[in-house]
Amino acid sequence: MSRGTGAGYDRHITIFSPEGRLYQVEYAFKAVKAAGVTSIGVRGKDSVCVVTQKKVPDKLLDQTSVTHLFPITKYLGLLATGMTADARSLVSQARNEAAEFRFKWGYEMPVDVLSKWIADKAQVYTQHAYMRPLGVASMVLGIDEEKGPQLFKCDPAGHFFGHKATSAGLKEQEAINFLEKKMKNDPAFSYDETVQAAISALQSVLQEDFKATEIEVGVVTEKDPVFRVLSTEEIDEHLTAISERD
Amino acid sequence: MGDSQYSFSLTTFSPSGKLVQIEHALQAVGSGQTSLGIKAANGVVVATEKKLPSILVDETSVQKIQLMTPNIGVVYSGMGPDSRVLVRKSRKQAQQYFRLYKEPIPITQLVRETAAVMQEFTQSGGVRPFGVSLLIAGYDDNGPQLYQVDPSGSYFSWKASAMGKNVSNAKTFLEKRYTEDMELEDAIHTAILTLKEGFEGQISGKNIEIGIIGADRKFRVLSSSEIDDYLAEVE
Repeated sequence: MSRGTGAGYDRHITIFSPEGRLYQVEYAFKAVKAAGVTSIGVRGKDSVCVVTQKKVPDKLLDQTSVTHLFPITKYLGLLATGMTADARSLVSQARNEAAEFRFKWGYEMPVDVLSKWIADKAQVYTQHAYMRPLGVASMVLGIDEEKGPQLFKCDPAGHFFGHKATSAGLKEQEAINFLEKKMKNDPAFSYDETVQAAISALQSVLQEDFKATEIEVGVVTEKDPVFRVLSTEEIDEHLTAISERD
Repeated sequence: MGDSQYSFSLTTFSPSGKLVQIEHALQAVGSGQTSLGIKAANGVVVATEKKLPSILVDETSVQKIQLMTPNIGVVYSGMGPDSRVLVRKSRKQAQQYFRLYKEPIPITQLVRETAAVMQEFTQSGGVRPFGVSLLIAGYDDNGPQLYQVDPSGSYFSWKASAMGKNVSNAKTFLEKRYTEDMELEDAIHTAILTLKEGFEGQISGKNIEIGIIGADRKFRVLSSSEIDDYLAEVE
């Protein structure tokens, strides 16, 4: 077994390397990027919007089945960036957990509680050798009864934070740089501004203009706190508004 | 715990008699953000850097200093997700003690049980040690107390201690400034000055966290505006 200094197993299972790092967790982050997709989330004054690329690798595939945007409950959405199979497993467990929460405690699971649950699960995989970390970064969105619109991001290491805006996936760092500039003075975006900020951030970072069928957009608003995936027509309206604005 | 396939310890002795996984865990702690604690005559203060990965992160969603019971607080250096596990287990143990004895758990007992959990993970099958060191601060019938628990599960009581990136400078600074008859207010000022020593960038109420407990036996985390007031006093 592992003997002496860093005898090779520290890259195969989640034990410490000599520098105190967890290589398996770092590789899990790389797996999130390897999916080749970038996602962006933006929190406005009274709404939250998440956007991701919709890459359909084969024309014969049924496009409606290719999705990374999942409703967890009526009011909570989850955008999974990274390995699709890991994402589906996580979503399935999250749906179960949220339903149990509602049954046990009599009120809807809040956004931060679900994010904490996902993050704590991710932490277990970083500490127990028999399970590898999931190659998924999750963005959870919803309207909190007390705190208003909330956007949380959970990563394979088990970290989770609330965000004013964030990104995950291939062009994560470029997107965060772009969003930092945009959100610097704490702008309070309206619903339309929030959606357009998210979509235009993605367009700018990937340096291409999208068609409505090439992206997926999910929203929650205070007015209608149900998690909704926008239809192609609605996405088109926003895309038009963005191109007219520029 | 762990699958039967992994029912052997991953933390094993090296030929020189060291447990290398624990040494590596201490490395992980040493690369974490600096945190420190000071025991005063009438209370305890703990403080930590709260450097977030981006300005886009909503800092109100993050609280590094946590309560284990109303009169015991904890701060960590190292891997945040690991600390959450320990806080959760300790809270449950404190509550179980209270249910049995109808008395708040003494700090030494809670520290001992938390340390036992950390030791378990250095010996059980299929798991790695925790990548955190904890500073547990509280006030009970034995007065104000401050304990540091390491990934190995060993713990000591400290008058003042620091952990994380800037540990050696911080400890030297504390050694010079510490006095046995310090009051809580002095300790808070000293804690801020110690953090300031190694701080990269502009220190403010938004990128440090401070928790205090006094003779009222109520641990609380200061708001960012209270911290800003203290920072102004220290200038």
